[in-house]
This record gives sequence, structure tokens and C-alpha cells, in this order.
Amino acid sequence: MSASSLLPLLVLWPLAGGLLGLLLPRGAGPLLLGVSTGNLALAVALVDALAGAGKVAHSVGGWSTPLGIALRADGLSAVLILVAGAVAPLLALYASAAYAGRELRYFAGLFLLFLGALNGLFIAGDLFNLYVTLELLGLSAVALAALGGGAAALAASLRYLLATITGSLAYLLGVALLYRATGTLDLLQLSGQGPALPGGAVAFALMVAGLLLKAAVFPLHFWLPPAHANASPPVSAALSALAVKAPLYLLLRLWLSTYDGAWPLVAELLAAIGAAGVLWCSLQAVLQRRAKLLVAYSTVAQLGYLLLALALVPAAGAAAYGAFTLLLVSHVLAKAGLFLAVGNLARRAGHDRLDGFERVVQHLPLSASAIALAGVSLMGMPPSGGFNGKWLLLQAAIATGDWWLVAVILVGGLLAAVYIFKLIEHTFGGSDRPDATALPRRMEWAALTLAASAVGVGFLGQPLLRLLGGVP
Amino acid sequence: MKRLGHAVLGLLLLMLAGVLAWAVSLPVAPGQDVPAHIAGSLADSGVSHPVTAVLLNFRGYDTLLELVVLLVALAGVRCLAPLPPPSGGGAVGGVLRELAALLLPVLVLVALYLLWAGATRPGGAFQGGALLGAAGILALLAGRDRFLAVLEQRLWLLAGLGVGVFLAVAAGTLVWGGTLLGLPPEQAGILILVIESFALLSIAVTLVALFLGTGELEDRDP
Repeated sequence: MSASSLLPLLVLWPLAGGLLGLLLPRGAGPLLLGVSTGNLALAVALVDALAGAGKVAHSVGGWSTPLGIALRADGLSAVLILVAGAVAPLLALYASAAYAGRELRYFAGLFLLFLGALNGLFIAGDLFNLYVTLELLGLSAVALAALGGGAAALAASLRYLLATITGSLAYLLGVALLYRATGTLDLLQLSGQGPALPGGAVAFALMVAGLLLKAAVFPLHFWLPPAHANASPPVSAALSALAVKAPLYLLLRLWLSTYDGAWPLVAELLAAIGAAGVLWCSLQAVLQRRAKLLVAYSTVAQLGYLLLALALVPAAGAAAYGAFTLLLVSHVLAKAGLFLAVGNLARRAGHDRLDGFERVVQHLPLSASAIALAGVSLMGMPPSGGFNGKWLLLQAAIATGDWWLVAVILVGGLLAAVYIFKLIEHTFGGSDRPDATALPRRMEWAALTLAASAVGVGFLGQPLLRLLGGVP
Repeated sequence: MKRLGHAVLGLLLLMLAGVLAWAVSLPVAPGQDVPAHIAGSLADSGVSHPVTAVLLNFRGYDTLLELVVLLVALAGVRCLAPLPPPSGGGAVGGVLRELAALLLPVLVLVALYLLWAGATRPGGAFQGGALLGAAGILALLAGRDRFLAVLEQRLWLLAGLGVGVFLAVAAGTLVWGGTLLGLPPEQAGILILVIESFALLSIAVTLVALFLGTGELEDRDP
């Protein structure tokens, strides 16, 4: 099989799995595990192919652009597909223990369609195709958020739906303006053209606003904490770890490629809202009384770091680009692990209020360790992936002389330490209820594996950066 | 306070409308000539109507994903609660019953015509499917809801068939031709008709199932 066929397979395989998940009345658990493991194998094959070729492309239908759609993967696409592919089987393992019957069937169908949309987005080379994958991703995420929840989850996912659709439509308006000015939707043909186009600035503002809303970046994060905190653990993990990263990835592509990193004001604005998000939402996380809300606010704060890294790419180049990628990868792993572990604790305690949280270290030792390990990466302590990312980010900020950013990064790390220790304080210690029933072990192992990978990825910094390649 | 908020929001939206109007009124330099590209490749697309050629051949991949979007929308509603039970249609008046008897065959016929016409003129699976879905809803309103039992039992088969067939064609072209949805010009016409026929059915079923909504949602815990 040629390397170029891998790209469509990465979409067809999970989509076919998702369709089967909805169709088949039984066997959702094995299907979920099998399809997501197969997807990981495809992702590894893509990484392998890129290691030789650097870039892979596929012309859908054999039509050349601007008539047809091109699929393209470079280092960044491959890293993201790989990390999503690595998280998926663990979420599947967890879900196959946490859900049963009808709920498992819908989770299997929706999650695999979600995965297909995510892969499709990371390889799309066409602005409208990106819109369709973004829409598919958003809708499946909303459906997952509502799955099996009570009235609070329904209300939160309705708000999520309205936010995500508003964001998509703003993005689509921008795409329409670009298409009007150029007659093409292909990212390669549009490369560098954005700033000079008539209406190019308006299109950019619309697309960026829409994507920031979809990514729940401060101050447009209002919909994220309730939606992520009221969903069930594997869904919260998928949404916080994966769903909100996709719009940021697209923002990076648009700004760095179509708009060539244009307008110094854009970099300053992105850095400002990134910094405000890190400080404000870390503080919010510290103040939360519910564990899941704490973790959800931590997500918005960590998205702020990604925005900071992105803002520095035009000035600082490879260091900021590497920081963006390493921070993203380690946050995906750490946050997925943390949500699963907190979910385990909440399931055992019957609620997720911190003041009544069970001290469970003897009964759920693996989940407690997962919280600690994920915390190490979120705080940015060595040798974790989070540390590598923050180190590169600090280098980029120092290189460009943005000393105030250095302060923001350090204060954000301190605040992260406060909210992580608040979580750990309620987890470690003697148990009040020695007789409580145990959880299925794979729910604990899934959380621990993810959290340990977030630390372990700290040792893979060099290979990841090599795969990533230079700034596109 | 609320009125002030509305006023500010209205003002912002008005400004946005102004900016958009300005952006659209800007003159643009001639870019890629897409109509010429379409005209140049239309002969190999298997259909003679440019819109159908774009939707099902040149950008068929987008249409495949759009069909999956419909499927996800249905799954998002269905995962909340099962289909509501048939109402029996006891209170349906004679006029509605007679009208349905008259209209239903015509609606089905026009839906199929739209599907067929899509190859040469405006029409296609989405238009035909919308009409067929409307026929289904009319039948429900007129108390002819015996097909609900089939819908309940075979919902995912019927709603997923469109995506399933499209995926099968996509996988087939990838395996045998090495190109995703690379329809061979000689077979493109018939392949497009097959894809559209199943899409028509699935679109109609999805719309009817979405219309039915969720019967038991009110009973959920507060």
C-alpha cells in the first residue's frame, strides 16, 4: 500500500467503524477497541511514511486543485494524528468498562465518528473540507457531551452546540470571502495570499473569532467548563484532550500559512488573550469546589499556553513551534489521564465535590498516582512533556525579549501547582470507607497509562521535534 | 440592564453587517476560473449538470462527510431517548386523510423524479430526500404510522445505508484505483446514481426520525 493511500484510510476506517457501532446491536466494546487500535496502527504507519518522505499528499477523486480536494500531511499533522490515535484505544478501554448496553453502543458509534472527523481535519488541505470536518467534529462532540447525562449535561451541551455552530458559521463566512477573492479553497494555492486580498482582513477576523470560540479560549470559554464537567469521564477526556485542540490547529495553519504570520497586532492580541487566559482560568481552577470543574478550568488555562506559543511563532520560529506542539501533546495525554482518574474517584464517592471527596489512595492507588503524574506534567515539572514544552516556550519568550511573558508562564505554573495540590490533598490519606466496592481495574490502568505517558513523552522531545520538522 | 445588553448586541451586529457589506462590495481581481475548470472536466464526471458534478464527483468527499453529519445529528437526538410510540392517529380528520391519500403517491413520484433529474438539471438526493421525508411526515400526520415499527427496528440500517454505500464506493475506488472516490468516467454515472439513491432513502428516514424527536425526554431526572 502506498503512503498516499494512508490519508484516506485514516478517515474511512474510523468512519466505517462508527457506522458499524451504530448499526450492530451487540459487540460495541470489542468493535470500539478493535477499530481504535487499527486506527493507531494507521497513525504509526503514517509517521513511518513521513519519516522518509517529509510530506504525503492525496488528490481526492484524482482531480487537481482548485477543482478537487487535496489531502496533505506534514510533521504537525502526523504528530497530532499519532497522539489522538494513542489516546483513543485507552479511552475505548475505559469506556468498555464504564458503559454498557445502549450507552456503550452510542458511545462507540459517536466516538469513532469523532475520531474520523479529527483525522480528517488534521489532513484536510482545503478550506471548505476543513469546515465540514470541523462541523462533524463539533456535532459529534456535542452528542457525546449529552450522552447519558442528566438535565445539567443536556443544558450544557445545548450551550456547547450553540457556541460551536456560531463559531463554524463565522469561520464559513471568512472562507466565503476568501473564495470570492481568489476562486480557490486550496490551502497551498492560498499560501501567503491572505493579507493582500480584498476583504482578507475581514475574513481573517471572522475565521479567528469563530475558531477561538470553538476552542473555548479565554474570554470565549463560557461554554466549556459546564459541558466538560457534566459529561461522563471518557467523554470529558475526549473533549478536553482532543476536541478543543482541532480549532487551534486550524488557527495555526490559517495564520502561519494563508496569512504568513501577518500583522504584528495579531501576535500581540493572541499573546495578550493567551496570557490573560493562563492567569484568570488558573485562578478559577484554584477557586473551584468541584473536582471536574477544577480540571475543566485547568483546560482553559492550558489552552492559554498554546495561544502564547502560537503568538510567538512568527518572531521566535522553531522554538515556539516546538513549544506549541510539545505543550499540546503533553496536555492531551495529561488531561485525558486526569479526567479519567478524577472520574474514577467521583464514581466511587458518588459525587465530585472536593470537600467530601474520599481519601482513596489505598483503594484506588493507580488513579491517585495518575492524578499525581498528570499533575507533574500540567505544572511543567521535569522530566515531563509539560516541562519540555514550557522550557521551549520560555526560550522563545526570552529570545523575543517578552519578559512579561516569562512572568506569566512562571506564575501560571505556580497556580497550576496550587490547584493540583488541592486535588492531591483530597485524594491521598486514610480512607473513611474501607468497605466500598472496587472499580474495574482497566478503568484505573487507562488513567494511569495516559498520565504516565504525559510524563514519559518528556523523554521523547527530540524524536517528536524531528518528526515535526521546521515551521511550515 | 438586559435591555442595555440587547441594545449593545444589536449595535455590534449592525456594525458586523456593515463590515460584511463593505467587504463584499470590494472589487476583486480575477482569480482561478472555477466555471472553466468545471466545464473542462464535466465530460468525465458521469453527469451533465455542473452542480451534481461538483457535489458527487469533484467534491464528493465533502458530500460523504455531510451525510455523516446528518447521521451524527440523528445519533445525537436518538442517544437521548428512543423513538416515541405510535400515536395511532385516532383524531385525524377526513380531509387530511383524503389529502394524504391523494398527495403521498405524487410526493414519492416527484422525489424519485428529482433524484433522476439531478444528472442533467437541478435536483438530486438532497432535494428528493427532503421531499420523501416530507411525504413520510405527512403520512404520520394522517395517521398512517404503521411504518413506524419498521423505523424503530431498522432505524440505523435505513439511516446508515446512504453513508454505508458511499463509504463502500470510496473504499472500492481506493483499493482498485488507488484514488479515494476516483470514479472511472465510464462508470461514474451509474455509481453516482447508486450513491444518490441510497442517500435519498437515508436522508428521508433521517428527516422523519428527527421530526419524531424524543418522546420521553420530559421524564428525565431534573
